[in-house]
Amino acid sequence: MTDRDSRQIEHEAAAWLARRDGGTWDRDEAARFDAWIAASIAHRVAFVRLEAAWAASGRLKALGAGVRAGTVPPRGEWRGEQRGKGHGAPAARAAPSARPHRRMALAGGAVAALLVLAGGLGWGWREFVATEATSYATAAGEMRTVPLADGSAVTLSSGSAIEVRLSRRERHIDLRRGEAFFAVAHDGTRPFAVSVGARRAVAVGTRFAVRRDPEEMRVIVTEGLVRLEAQAVPDGSPAPSALLPAGSVATARASSVLVRTGSVGDAERLLTWRSGYLVFHDTSLENAVAEFNRYGAQRLVIGDAAVGLIRIGGNFRWANSEAFVRLLEDGFGIRAERHADRIVLHSRKDS
Amino acid sequence: MSAELDSWFIREVLVHEQALERYLRRYRPHRDDVHDLRQDVYVRVYEAAGKGLPNAPKSFLFATARNLMTDRLRRSKVVSIFTMGDFDGQNVLVEDVSPERELSGRQALARLAEALDRLPDRCREAVWLRRVEDLPQKAVAQRMGVSEKTVEKHLAKGMRLMAAWYYGGDAGSGETRRAAGEDDDRSGQQTDRA
Repeated sequence: MTDRDSRQIEHEAAAWLARRDGGTWDRDEAARFDAWIAASIAHRVAFVRLEAAWAASGRLKALGAGVRAGTVPPRGEWRGEQRGKGHGAPAARAAPSARPHRRMALAGGAVAALLVLAGGLGWGWREFVATEATSYATAAGEMRTVPLADGSAVTLSSGSAIEVRLSRRERHIDLRRGEAFFAVAHDGTRPFAVSVGARRAVAVGTRFAVRRDPEEMRVIVTEGLVRLEAQAVPDGSPAPSALLPAGSVATARASSVLVRTGSVGDAERLLTWRSGYLVFHDTSLENAVAEFNRYGAQRLVIGDAAVGLIRIGGNFRWANSEAFVRLLEDGFGIRAERHADRIVLHSRKDS
Repeated sequence: MSAELDSWFIREVLVHEQALERYLRRYRPHRDDVHDLRQDVYVRVYEAAGKGLPNAPKSFLFATARNLMTDRLRRSKVVSIFTMGDFDGQNVLVEDVSPERELSGRQALARLAEALDRLPDRCREAVWLRRVEDLPQKAVAQRMGVSEKTVEKHLAKGMRLMAAWYYGGDAGSGETRRAAGEDDDRSGQQTDRA
């Protein structure tokens, strides 16, 4: 599969896609195409890639607004829209067939730029006025993903609360309690900041999670780059900040920031709560129980020091701490004492 | 081999093409080599995903790229100590290749417009008439005064070049620049550089 020239395959894929796009696609051709695409994954992958980009190019229709039918505008007509300064310098080389209509095309292009610009304003309008705060919260044992108006999505872990303010300058999230995972839509003009007390984690377009504990803030970055800032200290000296690449786990306390950068996979493992699981690898029961208590509704208590030192591993549903406790009873000789509001875990010896 | 797998691939893998190309190019400066490597990486990722979707697609993609390059280096006779030393570590430097490129609608349009403008004249004209004006290939052929076969070839080229810029961005720009230097292939002859 590696030795066929990838460019050759890409040309074949493009030829198929163009032929299928034409008007004469018949059953025979479809059968030959099916055989071609089934022949190797390299064919399939090359085709899927071109097809997806071609489908995306359907957006180009927006450029046709206000351009006379049959006219191909010169290059660069739409730059004005992108830079927001009207009719940018149009590139010189008009297609030969477009030349007779050049004047027309330029005028049309200007109209198109205006229309698209207006479209952009409509888009921006929401951001402009929507500065009032919106709050979201989850109860213990609950998890929820909420879409934000800028296209980002927030997944709130159990027992968490956030307040969202989207303004023209900034997208600001106040993490009141708990933990949340942010899949941030890219917007270079409006940084996305999550604050916990005096600290903020700032991103432009990335994926990261922030957790608030009484004493510390934890930031886990799984994609992109996040800047961790502290509010300027009262005497006006600049606040220190740390850049966190993907794979980072940063723990910030009142006066210190500890950054551990490992693989993205390791960082992701700390975020498995999003799929409803807690994953432990050689974790002390004390820490595992702390995790369960963070996410699950049922409270677990370590009854004696020995039990807290037992090391466990595996994937567990955080919503079902009862099943976790039963596994501990069966597999680790742990005795569970069930109370109305908590389950206390003891090592069997001391019973 | 399903539509679902295809759309996963588009959504989670192709969006990183620019970063992937940059990563590959860092170790394999020859463009053709990078094109082949990229295909092999995609094939491996697609094959593996067919057996079960990785839950961190981006790191999986880069880990695959790294493994592939390591394999190739081991097989090749001449190995540069520097290259070998560079990615012998356990961690793929995903973080330093670039943040994910998730395009908003507006950015996608800007990028596509740029891709369109990089096409050779006749090719650009064919793509405009077909994609923006939505004319069938037959009508495009009449408008341009060429055969349908020629339109098909212009479009095929447009599809390749648009994809290179749309997914590859700056990294794929070499591809489009090559094409711009090409003839305007009025004859419809495709210039193949296999």
